[in-house]
Amino acid sequence: MAMSWPFYRPSPEAEPRRPTMPSTPGPSHPTHPRVSISLHPDPIAPFLLVEQWQAQVCPHSSDGPAATSLFIGRVRGCTAAGLPLEALELEHYPGMSEWRLEELARACAERHGVQAVLAAHRVGRLPPGEPIVVVAVLADRRGPAQRCCQELLEALKHEAPFWKREWSLGVGTWVAGNTPLGGAGGMGT
Amino acid sequence: MPLSPAKDRFEAPTVTVRVRLFASLREAMGWGEQLVTPAVANPTPLTLWRQLNLTVAWPPGSHSPEGLPGGVRVAINQRFAPADSPLADGDELAFLPPITGG
Repeated sequence: MAMSWPFYRPSPEAEPRRPTMPSTPGPSHPTHPRVSISLHPDPIAPFLLVEQWQAQVCPHSSDGPAATSLFIGRVRGCTAAGLPLEALELEHYPGMSEWRLEELARACAERHGVQAVLAAHRVGRLPPGEPIVVVAVLADRRGPAQRCCQELLEALKHEAPFWKREWSLGVGTWVAGNTPLGGAGGMGT
Repeated sequence: MPLSPAKDRFEAPTVTVRVRLFASLREAMGWGEQLVTPAVANPTPLTLWRQLNLTVAWPPGSHSPEGLPGGVRVAINQRFAPADSPLADGDELAFLPPITGG
């Protein structure tokens, strides 16, 4: 698959020729979630990214979804072993990582009946404190927005091909597995 | 014109699979991609895992009853697949160590 950086894939449903969302969406309106995923080899500005995405999927804020849920994950400053972290390296499977992100995001969005989902993931080498992942969800209500955001984050941590390697004292160590939700330890989120 | 003896015999079509390794598995084996001709008929990811001796990249005793270590997943043509899936000529087979995204 040809890929330019940052890789950006708006969903087919996001094409302008598709019907737009009803101006007064209710519980019974058909769900055609707009899914935007992107991989970034360079630093992410999360709030700018989300602002641009919201302007794209919901140009008229007065008739858009009322709830936005947002998660920003940043690199921790220490390794799973408690050593100071120099950098976190993110490897991915070009092609598969992108479509898998989109598949997970779309399934999650449809399951929760939300209007739009954004998933942006860093790849490459990241210093501590730098954003590694951004997930944002637009929905009519806070419940679906928050549940979809959390579920998608957990899914991409375990179901999309990305691998972390933490660098400390000049030594790189592949991370054996992500911590469970609410768990302690690890350098990611 | 008489056929040569070699052409009289049935010859199974040659199957070539592109095998890819990632992250810790790639570094443990010292290669990330190679074209492989399966040594057995009806090849699967599991038969190629054994043929390529990828077991050495994992600690002894960590293999599941199905033959792959716990946490290692298979993708065929960039889609997750069971380890006993049939492989076809031209397939891209990837062995994925435990995923740690996010």
